[in-house]
Amino acid sequence: MLNYLTYIVAAWIFLWGLYGIVTSKNLVHQVVCAAVLQTSTYVLLLGIGFKVGGTAPIFADIPVGTSVVDPLVQALMLTDIVVEATVMALLLSMVVKSNEVAGTVDPEELRVLTG
Amino acid sequence: MTATTMFPLPIAIPLAVAAFIALSGKLLGRRFSDALAIATAAANLWMTISILRATWLQPQTYWFGNWWPRAHDVALGICFTVDSVGASLAVLASLLTTAGLLFSWEIFEDTENHFQPLMLIFMAAMCGFSYTGDLFNLFVFFELMSVAAFALCGLKTLEPAPLQGAYNFGLVNTVGAFMIVMGIGLLYARTGALNFAQVGRSLGSSSDALVLLAFLLISVGYMVKAAIVPFHFWLADAHAVSPSPVCVLFSGVMVELGIYAVARVYWTMFQGGLAAHTRELRAILLVMAAITAIVGALMCYAEHHLKRLLAFSTIAHAGLMLAGVGLLAPKALGGFSLYVLSHGVVKGGLFLCAGIVLHRLRKIGEDHLHGEGKGMWWTAGLFLLGAWGLAGAPPFGTLLGESMISDSAKEFHQAWLPYIFMFAEIVTAGAVFRATFRIFFGWGELAPTDRSSQIEEKPETDEEEENVPAVMFVPAAVLILLGIALSAVPNLRSTAEAGAQLFTNQFTYAQAVLQNVEPAAPALTAPEPLTSSIVRSCIALALALLLALGSLFHKRIGGWLKFTHSLELGNPILRKAHSGHPGDYVAWLSFGTALLGGMFVWFLRR
Amino acid sequence: MSSRARTIFFLISAAGLAAVFAWGFRDAPPLGDYRGPYGDVVTQVAGYERHATDVVNAINYDYRGFDTLGEEFIFFASVLGVLLLFRPQKEKENEAKNDSKEQEHLEEELPVSDTLRVSMQLMVVIMIVFGVYIAAHGQLTPGGGFQGGVILASAPLVVYLSGNAETFERIVSSPLIKLAESGGAAGYAIVGAAALFFGAHFLTNIIPLGMTGDLFSSGTIAVISALVGLEVTGGFVLLMKTYLQEIIVAHGEKK
Repeated sequence: MLNYLTYIVAAWIFLWGLYGIVTSKNLVHQVVCAAVLQTSTYVLLLGIGFKVGGTAPIFADIPVGTSVVDPLVQALMLTDIVVEATVMALLLSMVVKSNEVAGTVDPEELRVLTG
Repeated sequence: MTATTMFPLPIAIPLAVAAFIALSGKLLGRRFSDALAIATAAANLWMTISILRATWLQPQTYWFGNWWPRAHDVALGICFTVDSVGASLAVLASLLTTAGLLFSWEIFEDTENHFQPLMLIFMAAMCGFSYTGDLFNLFVFFELMSVAAFALCGLKTLEPAPLQGAYNFGLVNTVGAFMIVMGIGLLYARTGALNFAQVGRSLGSSSDALVLLAFLLISVGYMVKAAIVPFHFWLADAHAVSPSPVCVLFSGVMVELGIYAVARVYWTMFQGGLAAHTRELRAILLVMAAITAIVGALMCYAEHHLKRLLAFSTIAHAGLMLAGVGLLAPKALGGFSLYVLSHGVVKGGLFLCAGIVLHRLRKIGEDHLHGEGKGMWWTAGLFLLGAWGLAGAPPFGTLLGESMISDSAKEFHQAWLPYIFMFAEIVTAGAVFRATFRIFFGWGELAPTDRSSQIEEKPETDEEEENVPAVMFVPAAVLILLGIALSAVPNLRSTAEAGAQLFTNQFTYAQAVLQNVEPAAPALTAPEPLTSSIVRSCIALALALLLALGSLFHKRIGGWLKFTHSLELGNPILRKAHSGHPGDYVAWLSFGTALLGGMFVWFLRR
Repeated sequence: MSSRARTIFFLISAAGLAAVFAWGFRDAPPLGDYRGPYGDVVTQVAGYERHATDVVNAINYDYRGFDTLGEEFIFFASVLGVLLLFRPQKEKENEAKNDSKEQEHLEEELPVSDTLRVSMQLMVVIMIVFGVYIAAHGQLTPGGGFQGGVILASAPLVVYLSGNAETFERIVSSPLIKLAESGGAAGYAIVGAAALFFGAHFLTNIIPLGMTGDLFSSGTIAVISALVGLEVTGGFVLLMKTYLQEIIVAHGEKK
């Protein structure tokens, strides 16, 4: 069980993020739920790169050849973080605009296009 | 300069120019920015065509930073692996961007020169997406494409509808993107690699639950972009509100790239492991394709907002394209690549025509425009030609693509599939015919209204003009005529099939990427006769016309032909499902993923 | 769907999704059992090949530098998008003119103690030094352009919080900010293309690698890291400026 903990936690966060998005009644809250959903990918990626006994992959103060964790997943995660931050900025700007133009941040009330 | 050295340029040049315009656009003025953007897009078109010619049945690999793979096939760097399928998609993306930028010469007075850089970034992302040979790089370009698309979609920020459309688009696609990241992570956990060829080789013919889950997450993520039912809801909302030149890119190439990505990941990485279950996977994908085609067609016919109507037709055709991939055979995939090209130009042209309607008549709802377009015969002609192309009738290139997919379906004893295609073609072409007859000819009864067509779309131009400017009409006409010109290319079908054979061969692909062994060009096979497809498509065209006339004159004709009218009124349950609520859409996304996952577990496990 | 129906529909789907996840994870490698090969190979060769001690940044800015180019433009496109969404539009021109007055009005309203102001100014200095340090040492220690840029970009925000809205306005409206953003973004593509003139592939590290551990080591890694730092600083400052202006406008309307 413990061996699979990161996977379980990732799936758990993922599903709660989805739940938040689906049931949200406020667009700001909904965007934050998407951010929660995203954190599941951090957990998953870091868990994948982890190596028992490995230290950080920075060779500034450790000898070459020391066992380190996988640096690639950390690089991927950095991309992931940037993607998240930028998409959230865009979505939130739409929410601000919607508050201004339509006077609402409730997804139920913003529904103009249907059918 | 050899063609391979050109590979990074269609990405690097537009990106650098985009940054330049964003910085100095205000200083240089609107016209200069426009001209620079159009020149860059046209240069991209030229470069992508050169790359297509150089990689014609001869895939080439380019390693960024000179990081060639090391011993034991370990690739630390990123590579572009360009083959005919990917290269032709990049040409399509550049072509449609050029047309869109030309079209926008007359519109959008107040974007502060942010529109052109975003279009260029969008184009660069689509080119990179079609060229890349790396799993994570594919995701990066996917996101770059998405972010540019979200921003372009919400361009008209003065009304609630564009905000709703852009927000739904952004939210649903972002959830899809997170699924892709999880899938990539899981594959990396198994193989420790990100290069398609390396992952494919490392997986070999082994497949287990983890690999299957990764395949599920990655393909669902890309299917969200590809608007496959039930992941399609965002598309209609986003298209209805996007500026017309942006719709051209959305419908003409972005959606297709989603399907292309599914094909790419399947054939480079998963096909070995799933080889024992090809039959089951084919059945699953074909059922999804059929449902997508039917739902898209039904909703298309029930729609009276011109752009939304075209958007639903894109969903129907996306089903057809998914069938091309889902048959899991080179011939069908060749058909897919032809269909994407010809559908892309025709649909792009139609969206530009819708933009012309909005420009001239200031409205976009079919119910408001009854007879308003009389006198715009040239535009009406383009609409009719476009509908002709959607029906897949000769001389349009869509016929060739569809016939290859249909032939392949028959080889796999899926004779029902061509009838689904026919249904989608009849209904979507019928819808465009119906709208054209109403708007430009003033025929028949007034259209019944639906809620979406009541939305007042803000015209994209400032003043009403008496005539249609050439920069609007010419790109639309050229695109639609290109759909015809495509079928004049000699040996098109056999070359497409040969290209698809290279695409689907995991072994030679990996050898070409990792060992630099050039694959032998496959022999061109003689294509099957087109007779049955021509007959079928002509019947489809006639039925589409009949359907359109039936719903136009439903009061004068009686009996069972009344069904055409009820088709136009739409299915209330289907309509209700397209609720415009992002929560609903994400719930459907979860449902679809769970259902597809369940089917994978049931049918594809060892 | 009604919100109740939606929740039930979702919960059923989520149960299925959870089952699919659980089924798939059974075959996942257990935690800590890393099998490579990418990470093992790259940690062995990065120091020797790139003279970089931070392997994460050697990957980010060199081995997989092309991804980071895309990533940088994702950020660039989103800043453009936010600017586009918040652009002043015709119908709002009159309101826009009122903004400036409203803003001045707001500035007067904020009383700030001297203690706060002095300590904030001190903090700005520290933040700038720290941000530059993080951005410049990307190839040696954890950090790099993205991280350093974010720290640098929050310095003007501290100025704003210290009640010095006028200085904030002057900093964020400077054309240098826009230049940093666009120049950083375009610079990355240009550094990549520069390699082409030396007959190498795009984004090849063509600058001498220097001594491992030096500030100017690792060739283009340091250059690109600095360019990314510029772009991220400029981009985030523009984002904050746009959001703050929007909030001030909305605030003014409510009155």
